[in-house]
Amino acid sequence: MTDSPAGSRTAERHRAFRRFVTIWALLGGALLCAVVLVNTGSIIGAALFTANETGWLGGALPHWMASPILGDFELTEMGVCIAVFSFLPYCQLTRSNVTADIFTAHASPQWVARFSLLASLVALAFMAILAWRMYFGMLDQREYGYTTAILLLKHWYAYLPILASLALTVLAALVTLAEDAERA
Amino acid sequence: MLDALMIGFAGLGILILLIVIRMPIAYAMILVGGIGVAILSGPAILFSQLKTLAYSQFSNYSLSVVPMFILMGNIATQTGLSRDLFRAANAWIGWLRGGTAMAAIAACAGFGAVCGSSLATASTMGQVALPELRRYRYSGALATGTLAAGGVLGILIPPSVVLVVYAVIVEANIVSMFAAALFPGIIAVIFFILTIGVYVMVRPEAGPKGGASTRGEFLAATLGVLPVLVIFGLVIGGIYGGFFNPTPAGAIGVFLVWLYGIFRRSVSMRSLGEALLATARTTGMIYLIVLGAELLKIFMSRGGVPQAIADWMANSGLAPMTVLVILLIALIFLGCLMDSLSMILLAIPFFWPVLVEINGGDYVPAEMAGFGMSSEDLKIWFGILSLIVVELGLITPPVGMNVFVISAMARDTPMRETFIGVMPFFAAEIVRVAILLAFPAITLWLPHYLSG
Amino acid sequence: AQEFVFKLHHLLGANSPAQKNMLEPWAKQVEENSGGRVKIEIYPAMSLGGRPPELIQQVRDGVVDLVWTVNGYTPGLFPRTEVFELPSVFRNDIKATNLAMYDLFESDLKQEYKGLEVMWLHVHAGQAIMTVDKEVHSPADMAGMKIRIPTRTGAWVIEALGAAPVAMPVPAVPQALSKKVVDATLLPWEIIPPLKLQNQIKYFIEGHNQTRIGTTTFQVSMNKARWDSLPDDIKKAFRDASGRDWWGKVGDIWRAGDDFGISVAEKAGRKHIVLSEAETEAFMEAVQPVVQRWIEEVSAKGIDGAALVEKARAAIAANTAAN
Ligand code: NA
Ligand code: NA
Repeated sequence: MTDSPAGSRTAERHRAFRRFVTIWALLGGALLCAVVLVNTGSIIGAALFTANETGWLGGALPHWMASPILGDFELTEMGVCIAVFSFLPYCQLTRSNVTADIFTAHASPQWVARFSLLASLVALAFMAILAWRMYFGMLDQREYGYTTAILLLKHWYAYLPILASLALTVLAALVTLAEDAERA
Repeated sequence: MLDALMIGFAGLGILILLIVIRMPIAYAMILVGGIGVAILSGPAILFSQLKTLAYSQFSNYSLSVVPMFILMGNIATQTGLSRDLFRAANAWIGWLRGGTAMAAIAACAGFGAVCGSSLATASTMGQVALPELRRYRYSGALATGTLAAGGVLGILIPPSVVLVVYAVIVEANIVSMFAAALFPGIIAVIFFILTIGVYVMVRPEAGPKGGASTRGEFLAATLGVLPVLVIFGLVIGGIYGGFFNPTPAGAIGVFLVWLYGIFRRSVSMRSLGEALLATARTTGMIYLIVLGAELLKIFMSRGGVPQAIADWMANSGLAPMTVLVILLIALIFLGCLMDSLSMILLAIPFFWPVLVEINGGDYVPAEMAGFGMSSEDLKIWFGILSLIVVELGLITPPVGMNVFVISAMARDTPMRETFIGVMPFFAAEIVRVAILLAFPAITLWLPHYLSG
Repeated sequence: AQEFVFKLHHLLGANSPAQKNMLEPWAKQVEENSGGRVKIEIYPAMSLGGRPPELIQQVRDGVVDLVWTVNGYTPGLFPRTEVFELPSVFRNDIKATNLAMYDLFESDLKQEYKGLEVMWLHVHAGQAIMTVDKEVHSPADMAGMKIRIPTRTGAWVIEALGAAPVAMPVPAVPQALSKKVVDATLLPWEIIPPLKLQNQIKYFIEGHNQTRIGTTTFQVSMNKARWDSLPDDIKKAFRDASGRDWWGKVGDIWRAGDDFGISVAEKAGRKHIVLSEAETEAFMEAVQPVVQRWIEEVSAKGIDGAALVEKARAAIAANTAAN
């Protein structure tokens, strides 16, 4: 059936989507690497601070250089959070969420596909609900002006990439649902 | 109270049913928890809570160490560090009968010291050690059994993702948990090596001797382990020494492993990308389970379930140790169904209040406590015991993830044989649990020493 | 019969002094006042889900009916109340500060509690200085230390003293102190027993006459819609249990918890340093820039910060004199 022009167009669209979701996850991975660097930098900064103020560096370094990164804690929380959301579409598309397959090991492929379809449906419904609710969550965060404690970063900014990730996860669930429906 | 227990059992029953029909465990928890809250308190409450719940769970600082350790393990996988470890261990003990399998265990322990996950350890070391074991004509059962069991060391030797999640749930100090895991982890390594020794005594044909190495090979191989020692020393040593908190320590670990890979020219942009995607799959899965478990917890709290179970157990008149053993056995049974992390997230929120209640509350002095130790110590001790029994789930049928991973690599060995091959290791683990139960000091000594 | 059931959500444990000595007695009083028609179920340790900063949103959304929470978890939401946290505005008197908040509540504070019906506000005994191994008598002694941040304005205090602020969650504090990841922390005495700080800290330092360097504000609030839906006699049951006397009594409860905390440290043989009056004033002088910085910051939001500082100081002074 993939021989038909319509089928191959669909397949091509799926491939393009898959590539985009992979790149999206890699961007999240890059953010995670940035969190790694912030934490590493903060440790080095704290060590330099002690050396500079009390130890053998004796005030040789400027203050901005030799100090722990203020708010590394918050940057870590927010960075990891955004990164994890960006992983969700990739997880859905690669079916990485753990299942217990053993009881259905002897079931027919058709039944397995039906169970899988049910799982895709739940993922689709939940991610759609979550996207809908977190949109209102973002509006709350903006209206009340929730910020982090030290750097006063506005939480609702973080919701923007997160909502995009959730929208992608909904689409990814649609793709897995279509795959399951074909086999069921 | 009866109502509450009914709610609890109904929820658990439906959850298991969903898991049996292949629903991803995270979504099974989300479905039961979400619908449960909607039934008990109305959908409006659920919808309001979903506005912020996922954001706050995913931005929990205590959990941020999880992606760090996973990324560290995944980059380590790309670096070829596993090969160095195995070569060194093999140069040391490979000439013994069963020595190559023993070396594989030692190398698993070494890899576990820089990797927070069991599956990553099993698959990485499997790729390196399985061909060698087959080359020396080890039996399929011993070769695959060794590697499936050895993978468990990835999580028994700190750092360990499961321990982090346990610490988050019971609000334990992660550093104390890591410290507590060290001696039991070393005992596990010794027991596994002894198990192989006994195995090849009974069945000499299963594990032949390997070749002895030359002095030059020996020296080169031994020097190859230095990077692992340095990284483990800095990361775990830094945590134990209190020089940094776990998340920055994990970050430094990632940074060092990455540098090592660049230095060895084994980590290109491409392999870094692969490590990141592997991290994305595991991390996304773990965090989704964390969210599901939170929804399930809210449902159970609103139904009054944890309190009811705690009251019920506390009034059962059973001796504290009996209750503890029952809970551990329950975890072993749950382990047949679920992966270790889901199990910790599902069971500990219910089991821990029971133990605190029996012990006499949060602030009970040791001399008046049911277990003869403060609740803080009980938290640490129980954490290590449950860590071991939930990890057993990785090598027990029907769902034994480590066995699946190794089986997928060893196509010529039927999975049944692998399950038979891990049996002796399973027995060794039961002996270890019994010893740790009898002598809590083995677990508690190091955390006590470190906290002064 | 229990016609009105309320879920009270908070972050500390079921056996914490805050639940045992403050929340439970209050809940019991409300229940009694209502003739048994009200039931308040207390859910400790975030057992109804989420993390502490979400408590405010949970009660606004009606996910729970009542919360006890720290205002500073949601910085910027309660800027006016924050004036009572400032060093040299809050000096030493918990009870007088609680009563001052009561007196200024309708006129100056109420407007920032959108979607909430406040039962009561309170502070803790204030930030004392706990150092691992250095005796401190002057602001200069603290320059170059790494100090854990207690609150948002607490970070400014640390900077004003020439030290480096380090953020970390409370449970990480003992370990960080024991290995000198931080050299000192600013916390009230009441936190000593649960964190066993007497094991890591040598010097426990406070100003003359229990003077501390700023404090933290807390609130117990009900969902506004839920409150509005209640019949008058039930509202009265809550009001009677949370009147001016109660706000003052909460001050006594936290004072007792604080005194107990320092007694634990003293019993462990640790040094409890009380600064002289002159030394104390040197600290108050050093943190003046913090008050100035706060005034500038809230002025940008259209709040007359300078006037609020004066009003708060006057109200606290009036209540201190009255006690
Ligand atoms: Na490990
Ligand atoms: Na299993």
